[in-house]
Amino acid sequence: MTTETEAGERRAWGWIEALRAGATTPWREFTGTADRGGRFLPGAQQLELLRRVNAVRRPGPALVERVLNASAPGRGRPDLQLVGAAEESRFGPPPVDPADLPDAELVRVAAGLIAEDLVAAGPPPPPPPRWTRLWRRTYRLVGDPWMADPIRAELRRRGRPPGGMRPTILVLGADLGTMLADAWTARSFAEGGSGWRDWLGGAIAHDRVPPRADLVTQARRWAERVGRDRVEIVIGAEHLRRVLKVRRALPAPPVYAADGVDLARQVSSPLGLLLVPNQRAVLLAETLGPWLSDAPGGPLGIPAAHVEWVQARAARMRDELLGAGYAVHGDPEALVPDAPGEGSMPDDAGVLSLAVRLMLEHGERRTEEVSG
Amino acid sequence: MSSRVLLHVGTPKTGTSYLQDVLYRNQRVLAHAGIRYPAERFDGHFLAALDLMKLPWGGLEAEAIGAWDRLAEQVRHHRGTSIISHEILATASRSQVGRALASLGHDDGTEIHVVLSVRDLVRQIPAEWQENVKHRRAVAYRAFLDQIRDPERESRIATWFWGVQEIPDILDRWGHDLPPERIHLVTVPPAGGAPELLWKRFSQVFGLDGLDLDLAPLRANPSLGVPETALIRRINRAANRDLAPADYRPLVRELLAHQTLSRRRGSPRLALPPDDYAWVREMEQAWVDEIAARGYDVVGELAELIGTPPSGFADPDRPEEKLVAEAAVDAITALLLDNARLRHTEDRLGAELVETQRALERSYLRPTYRFRAKVVRRLQGSRVGKGMLMAYRFARGRSSRSA
Repeated sequence: MTTETEAGERRAWGWIEALRAGATTPWREFTGTADRGGRFLPGAQQLELLRRVNAVRRPGPALVERVLNASAPGRGRPDLQLVGAAEESRFGPPPVDPADLPDAELVRVAAGLIAEDLVAAGPPPPPPPRWTRLWRRTYRLVGDPWMADPIRAELRRRGRPPGGMRPTILVLGADLGTMLADAWTARSFAEGGSGWRDWLGGAIAHDRVPPRADLVTQARRWAERVGRDRVEIVIGAEHLRRVLKVRRALPAPPVYAADGVDLARQVSSPLGLLLVPNQRAVLLAETLGPWLSDAPGGPLGIPAAHVEWVQARAARMRDELLGAGYAVHGDPEALVPDAPGEGSMPDDAGVLSLAVRLMLEHGERRTEEVSG
Repeated sequence: MSSRVLLHVGTPKTGTSYLQDVLYRNQRVLAHAGIRYPAERFDGHFLAALDLMKLPWGGLEAEAIGAWDRLAEQVRHHRGTSIISHEILATASRSQVGRALASLGHDDGTEIHVVLSVRDLVRQIPAEWQENVKHRRAVAYRAFLDQIRDPERESRIATWFWGVQEIPDILDRWGHDLPPERIHLVTVPPAGGAPELLWKRFSQVFGLDGLDLDLAPLRANPSLGVPETALIRRINRAANRDLAPADYRPLVRELLAHQTLSRRRGSPRLALPPDDYAWVREMEQAWVDEIAARGYDVVGELAELIGTPPSGFADPDRPEEKLVAEAAVDAITALLLDNARLRHTEDRLGAELVETQRALERSYLRPTYRFRAKVVRRLQGSRVGKGMLMAYRFARGRSSRSA
């Protein structure tokens, strides 16, 4: 090892020591040194993430160690070395200045830690079982899953579970722009997958409405199973009360900031490495969801460039549903969005900022539990 | 606690499937020699590797939860030598390596050895592209080569490829806390050499010499030719959207690639494009020099890491269409035969179901059945009746009680 390399490594250990003490100095400006403090230097991603956490608030010691010992889960760039800290090697990925790392790389590490925090927090207790009403309209609620899931859960709480003798199939929808955003949100809170732009771009490139937003296919499949006369289209959740003959209002789906939904998507992947799919979906919806409820930023929206495609596909969906002869509750014209939405796009910097906040709020809580 | 752990961490396409199969099938013989291969199937350490490295793998990761800790516990409870082997471990990060070594008892005195089987890049590069294609990717060969040649290595393909193939970097990560004499490299002999030579090297490094092992080659990861790989890539492009990973594995990877197309003979073999040879040759030489300088235990010849120049090249991005069509006919035939087998199974199961339903209906229709059912329902409605039923069942000798 050369003298220069030794000096670089001592500087790196000095930076780690300073970060442990809450420093926010970027690597390229740091000049202190320290003796070797561990078996190996943590990766540039972990160190830069800790610096960003420190910039918001000084974390507790256990959270610091969790960040330093984390590895970014899943596939992607490996843990990278600090430029100037290690011997120049002809092998391995090139070392980096951590300040140059894209935010998405830091989110990958943070998402793994948040997944651990979710597992530690666990799901909220299930609601107490209710007697099932004997006299109720039997139904199955399908369609837009983001709208339908909380309504179904509430109806179950009121003793009106889906199913029963010869249920009517209620295919719930809204304007296609909302349903597309809902479909990606539901996907993000279930199995994760690709980002909003790629996902929507893929659907447009193949001129195909994704299954979760495709009322035509859902209605047709149910009609093949139970007959067309038992399938009804409900456009707008406000019509469900009348259709189901319930007195009290039904819940609206939670609305999260676009950055919050994207963070849920990114946490979903490492969470799938810790839990089986059903448990993952419960934790994302019922534990992570409330954590994201006050996330800053606007809800997801369709980019103006894609509104024309959405309107054209919505008009085709309206015509196909009407042409198939299903009973329709609500105005079929409401399937077609009027004008470009005012929604937001997920942004890596916003997602990282939110991830850091969650780590401080909930990673610390876990830290106390672990140390206690 | 194991006194010694042999941790075989890669690399892919170096006879690892065969080694793991031999170890799995000979667990009893190994156990008599004090060697434990704790696996319930030949690639039993795959799930443990996924768990250690937090890697998603087409839904299999849900089966992997906790698998590494379970494996490490079995190793710690064994008092002799334990062997762990999976090729994807090569891509573990330093912190994952640290966790792996600690869980195996590295800090408590267990003697841990890292084994890496290695092959020249001239053969590894086309083999890795083919593995990508057999794992649903539709990337063209040239695009794959461009990505792995990009010095920034930011793409997923490049990070994975170098993560499991760059020998000095793998050994930096796995060996940074171990003395060089506990790091063993097994080189794969050049093509055309004696087939048993690689096994002899594995046997030497794992301490298996002298054991009476069944070495029948039951399992390997067979390779495809140029038109066959091009065909699978086209299938990926056409079917990926609609074919779930759980269906892809048995139908495309196993039935088409491994059981059908890999058996075709006479097709041109995948090779490194001649224009890329100089770049590869330079890198191979740098690796050989570095490994020699580090003083690892090399079983085989380091010079075998220098691949021979490709003698010919058939471009899989522009395959000979006639050959692809012939491969496609074989693929369709295999699918038809498999479909016919499934139809026969479906018919047989359908007939069995109908027969079962008829038998059930016959038993329900018997007046004595209806009378007995009525009596049981009545008796279950009162505490006294339940007691009588219990006494009757006890006297009759029934081993289970109704719910």
